[in-house]
Amino acid sequence: FRFKESLAEELQSAELVISHAGAGSCLETLEKGKPLIVVINDKLMDNHQLELAKQLHRDGCVLYCNCSTLVETLQSMNLSALKPFPPGQPEKFASFLDKVFGLQ
Amino acid sequence: TGGHTTEILRLLSCLSESYSPRHYVLADSDKMSEAKIRSFEQKRAETFSKSQFSLDRIPRSREVRQSWISSVVTTLYSILYSLPLTYKRKPDLILCNGPGTCVPVCLSAFLLGLLRIKRTVIVYVESICRVETLSLSGKILYYFSDYFIVQWPDLKKKYPKSVYLGRIV
Repeated sequence: FRFKESLAEELQSAELVISHAGAGSCLETLEKGKPLIVVINDKLMDNHQLELAKQLHRDGCVLYCNCSTLVETLQSMNLSALKPFPPGQPEKFASFLDKVFGLQ
Repeated sequence: TGGHTTEILRLLSCLSESYSPRHYVLADSDKMSEAKIRSFEQKRAETFSKSQFSLDRIPRSREVRQSWISSVVTTLYSILYSLPLTYKRKPDLILCNGPGTCVPVCLSAFLLGLLRIKRTVIVYVESICRVETLSLSGKILYYFSDYFIVQWPDLKKKYPKSVYLGRIV
């Protein structure tokens, strides 16, 4: 299972996702509208993963914890309070680049 | 690698065919990105039949948690590969979003620009993971890129020369 190409199928049928804070995992899960608990890996160098998880948590989109507090989080979670996550807008990026190169 | 590849393919998703051919540069140790890229390009070719792309690999500049000193050495080694590659491709635009692999490529392009061999526009998009601080690649390329894009307002405040377009992936 470790390096399966896409988790889309599994995600689609899941009711709750517990994941590390990698951008791909978080975004894919939130975009499918699945409730997400993000678990932070304390061992990565500057732990920048925390920033996204904290922000998503501030925005009310995910629950977050670390390995030792996971059980507690699972026991006390309220998934219906999670807010939907609006999608990013790559078209704004395309528009910006087109302006840079005079391609509008 | 992984998350970076997913993000960059999303950035590419709305670009017109003016941005073609696309040359992807990967770290030699990256096993998963190639499949994602081929899948993306295959889908793209369904809409734009003349779509072209290529894949090149260079030595990985830096492993996670690698020390400062050895990182400089391995990055210099990667530049030995990225310089001839960048010279060969002479891109009009380099788009990158933060893996260590992008640093030697951008520095090579910057150097070729200084030497008046090819002027490449360097666009750096910091990962959506970066809300309050820049990645190491970001900190370096903030000074070498033509456009430095951040996805959260805190970073725009801290790095005033950056561009903030909101979330774009």
